[in-house]
This record gives sequence, structure tokens and C-alpha cells, in this order.
Amino acid sequence: MTAIPVTGAAASRGFLRRFASQEALLALAVIGLAVAVGFVNPRFLAYRNLADILLGNAYIAIAAIGMSMVIISGNIDISVGALIGVLATVSGSLAVAGAPTAVAWLVPLALGILVMAAQGAVVAYLRIPAIVVTLGMLSILKGGLISVTGGKWITDLPQGFHLADLDVLGVPMPVVIMVAATALAAIWMRDTASGRAIYATGGNAEAARLCGVNPQRTVVMVFALHGLFAGLATLVYATQLRVIQSTTPSGLELTIITASVVGGVSILGGAGTVVGSTLAAILIAEITSALVFVNVSPYWTDALRGGLILATVIADIIRRRRRAARGWRT
Amino acid sequence: MKARYLLTTAAAACALTAFATDANAAGKWDGGDDLATSPLECGTGAAAPGAPMKYDGGQPTHAPNKAGKAITVVDVPKLIGIGYFNATSKGIQDAAKEIGNVKAKTDGPTEAKIDEQIKFIDNSITSGVDGILFAANDPVAIAPVLKKALSKGIHVVGYDANATPGAREWFVNQSPFNGIAKAMVDAMAKETGEDGSFAIVTSTFTTPNQARWIAEMQAYAAKCHPKLQWLETVEAQEDNNLSFNQATTLINKYGDKLKGLFGMTSVATPASAEAVTKAGQCGKVAVVGLATPNAMKPYVHSGCVKSVVLWNPIDLGYAATYVMRAAVDGKLEPGDTSVEAGKLGKLNVINGSEILLGAPFIYDKANIDTFDF
Repeated sequence: MTAIPVTGAAASRGFLRRFASQEALLALAVIGLAVAVGFVNPRFLAYRNLADILLGNAYIAIAAIGMSMVIISGNIDISVGALIGVLATVSGSLAVAGAPTAVAWLVPLALGILVMAAQGAVVAYLRIPAIVVTLGMLSILKGGLISVTGGKWITDLPQGFHLADLDVLGVPMPVVIMVAATALAAIWMRDTASGRAIYATGGNAEAARLCGVNPQRTVVMVFALHGLFAGLATLVYATQLRVIQSTTPSGLELTIITASVVGGVSILGGAGTVVGSTLAAILIAEITSALVFVNVSPYWTDALRGGLILATVIADIIRRRRRAARGWRT
Repeated sequence: MKARYLLTTAAAACALTAFATDANAAGKWDGGDDLATSPLECGTGAAAPGAPMKYDGGQPTHAPNKAGKAITVVDVPKLIGIGYFNATSKGIQDAAKEIGNVKAKTDGPTEAKIDEQIKFIDNSITSGVDGILFAANDPVAIAPVLKKALSKGIHVVGYDANATPGAREWFVNQSPFNGIAKAMVDAMAKETGEDGSFAIVTSTFTTPNQARWIAEMQAYAAKCHPKLQWLETVEAQEDNNLSFNQATTLINKYGDKLKGLFGMTSVATPASAEAVTKAGQCGKVAVVGLATPNAMKPYVHSGCVKSVVLWNPIDLGYAATYVMRAAVDGKLEPGDTSVEAGKLGKLNVINGSEILLGAPFIYDKANIDTFDF
């Protein structure tokens, strides 16, 4: 936010130094893993398989965009998996009941924004820790969904409902949404005052206030956006298969949080990018697929995922310490 | 720098190879348990009679003799309002109409909650019925209230989900593990050919029912379809999208070698069918699995899936009602080895106090639309 003019090259080098390390590392890991597994089983590198990995997991990357914003703002949300389950059921029920496709698609987006903004308001203005608020919401959504649906699945979805089956110039819709949402969010967070306010709020709310940022309003905005991305993720998630399960996908919130954290979003707030979280979501999906390809027992999946989280968090803390030792001269 | 990355990559590849186990070297299919198996006879032959077990059910005390007289029966399923129990309820009504002197009504909780279910049964005892049919939400927690019913001279017959044996007279068992296993493996062999290679999508390796089925499937395949080749089993929890991704991964991994997929849960089967459809492999990769009809209709109609294995819940309710009538009439007593059940014919007694519904039901293009659950 300094007014010192910088040349393009210098700016991009500064940008690289400040943000690229985790992203570059992840990109390398994504490619490195693909090559390594390709050695063992070349079929892994088939276009079809790589595309399927992206397609089947795009919804996690999309949801992780909002989650990253929430964590960067110094908060957390553990209700998102349950919310996606509820929004999927709402969307599917509307479609089956004969609502126009646009309504079946737009209502979950609006509802996602509403539910999340409400949670954000409670967090920001009543000053209740986000983990408590969202834990409460998790129970409400989970219990409510089972009560209302009785666990009954939604079937017979109309053909036009399946957004995930569409493509733009041959690129499947889930991938289009994932890439577009990541790019837009990344640019917005980097280059606009309202986007930078998220980092300021999460880094040091008091300092942010002194610089003219309204931390409360920022938190509500972040949660509302998180709701929007959860809605988008729902559209991909719910329209991919012919059945909507009507129960909340178990552990989805953890997968989403993992993508953010492994993506380099500091669990302490104030740092990270959505490019990182999208790359991490891809890496995690790639690992799951790779384990099948090289015949590793699935018992290792969770252990590997856990190891990945620990490694990233430790790396993040070491990086912070070093930076602190250097007196924040970046 | 470049050399270092190459080295790292090579090292990673080596590590992965070291991790990797040769799936086929293992004697046991992944995801099966280690309990003893009892594979059924090959082909369409009658089930081999198991070792007879002593009757272990409970009997009502001082039940009024209503043999041949009109009786009132209440049916308390796990929950009401879902297609599955609507179907069992229909079976009960069908049988009641056919028998004539049975008046049955279904009355149960709107959620699968054991405390609610106990209340419903307790109310029935108070209001005075001759018989109670139940599908337990919890085998142990439901026992006291059922024993109370028996102590008041009310006949108690279970179906779908058992209670501890002493708490009911009889239980209609819709799916002994070896029966499901036989139906699944026979269907797979028929679709892939006797020397087909297949993979399994299950919930987790330790889920009790799935582990039992897989172990029985292996035993039955070894006995009756020895050339069928198991490739591997993957876990997919009970998660729709994960099941789809795992099935897709299997298709991509094995390519033409993969001739069939077993779906071991009602989630994994439609998701596997979707994966096969999206991969354009319908007709090349068979999907055989346990599933409920509604979720499978699109795939059965498109011809991508030929056999969905499950029992017929209408028959299940129907059989339970016949068993109830026979118990009241004294035509089914401890020690008997079979019971007449209307259009289903003679049903065998197994495991002491259970009535075997028969071979699993195969849902196909011709019949799937008559079911809604």
C-alpha cells in the first residue's frame, strides 16, 4: 500500500518473493507426483485420468477459495460441509419439483450467502469466536437436513439440471468454474482495497482499523463471499451425479480446510492465496487417485494427508520466524 | 537444480514402488473379513441346509388361542414415510388381504429413532393388539419392550432388522450374507464371462456387513467361478462423490482389463454406474451391486446396468405377515423347519429362529419401475 512507484519487473519479483514460494512448491509437487506415479504406472498420465481428477474434485477447490478468505481474515468455518449438503438438497428438491433450472441454480447461491453472512455478522458484531458459531451451525444444518429429508435421496433429477455436464469450448464446466473463480478471487484479493482489507483484518485487526479498514464489515463480507463459493461448489457437487444424497457429506469441511492450509493459507490469519488453495486441492485429489494407481493401501491416505498438513504448517511457522528475524524486510 | 529435481522424482517413484503391494499376491480380497464363510451351492440348486440350530426365540406367555380367528396386527418399522418401508407395508397389507382374517396397520416413528419406536410399541401393547411386527432401530435397546409384549401374550415377529433372539418369536431374514454373495458373483460371471477381471468399490475395509459380503463373495467365487479375477478393492466411505471418483480411477487405471465393478453399498453402486456411463464404458464394464431401485433406474433404463441385487421389501413384509399368522395358529412352532408363506411357497427356518426369505431379488429393466424406494 505504499505510494512508491515500482517498475513492473520489480513488482513482479516482489510479488514472487512474497507469495510464490508455497504456490511454486505446490505446482512442483503436483507435477512431480504425476511424473513419479507415471513411472510406476504410465496410465496415470493419460489425459482422461488427469482430467477426471480435476473434474471430480473441482468442487473442493471452489469451496476452498471461500474458506481461504475466511481463514485469512483470522476466522474459521466448520459448517461449510453441512451447508453444501443442505444447499444440494434444496437445489435438487427445487429441480425435481419443477422449478426452472435457473431458480434451482440461483437459490443455493443466495441461500449460501445468506447463511454465511448471518454467521459472519454473529462473529463480527457479537464477538463470538467463529469456531463456536460455525460448530453450532454445523449441528443445526446436519440435524435439520436429516429431520426434513429422513435421509431420503433425491432422484429423477431433470436433464437440464446437470450443470457439471456442460462445457465451455470443450472444457468441462467444473474446471471452468474452478479456474475462473480462482483467478477472479486471486486478482481481487491482490489488487483491490477491499481484497487487501481481508489480509489487514486477519493480520492485525486493530492496525487495520487505524488504517481505515472496518474489520467487522470485512468479516461479514468475507463470510458472505464464502457462502457464494460454497453455493458454487454445491452446484458442481450436486449436478455431477444423478443422485443427491440428502445427508451431509462427512468430513467435507475438513477436506476443504486442509486444501486451504496446505495451500499456504496461514491458520493464524493474514497470509495465503487462493491460487495456493486451489493447487493444494488438486494435489490432494491427485494423491488420492495416485494411491489407487500404485496399489498403496487406503489406510495411508489419511496419514499422508495429515503429514501434508503438518509439514505445511511447520513450514509456515518457520517462514514467519525467519521473516520476523529479518525484521519483515521483504 | 534440474538434476536434483530429477533425482527427487526418481526417489519418489522408488518410494512409491516400495509402498506398493502386489495386489494379486495377497490371498484374501481386500475388504473381506476373516470370519468363517459358508458358500452356497453353485448354479440354481437349492441352498444347502445349514447345521440345524436349537430354537432360540422367545415365546409369548399365556397367549389367547386365536387359531383361525381374526387378529389385529400392528407393524412398527424403523420409520415411516420412506419408500423402503412403504414397500414392506404394502407387502403386509397384500398378505393381510389374502389371508382374510388379519387386520394390519403400520404405525411407526417418522425418524429412525429407537426411543420413538419403543413408545410406539409400548402404545400398541397398551391398546391391546394380537401381534407386533417390527424392524428394529437397535437390536438390544428394543428387546425390553418386545419382551414386555411377549409377557402380555402378544405375538412378536421381526423383519428387516433383528432384535436379540429372546425378545421375539421369529425373525424373517431377507439376506443371509452367503445368499447376497452368490447372487452378486453369479451376476458378475454372467455379465463379464467366467474369466472376467473385476474390482470392488466398498465403504471401508472394516465395515462389518460389507466385509462379510466380500469374504462370502470370495469363498463363493473360489468354489463356483474360479476363473473370475479380483483386481482390487477401493474404499469410498458412504460418499457419493468419492465413490464416483474411486470408480473412475479404477476405470482409468485398468483400462480394457477391467470388465466389472462390484458396488458394495447403495451409494457405491449408482456412483460406479455413473462413472462407467461418463467414461463411455457401458457394455464394456459391468456394474453389479447392492442398491435401491430409485437410484438405479436411470442406469437400468439406459442398459448400462443389468442387475441390481437386493431383496424385495414387498415380499419381506408379505412373508412376515404369513409368519405371524402361522405363529398365532400354532402352525409354526419352535423346532419346525419350514413355514408356508402364500405365493412365496415354503420358507425355510435357519439359525434357530429365523425364516429365510429366499434368494435375493434381482431388479432389472422389466421390474424396476414397479418399485419406489
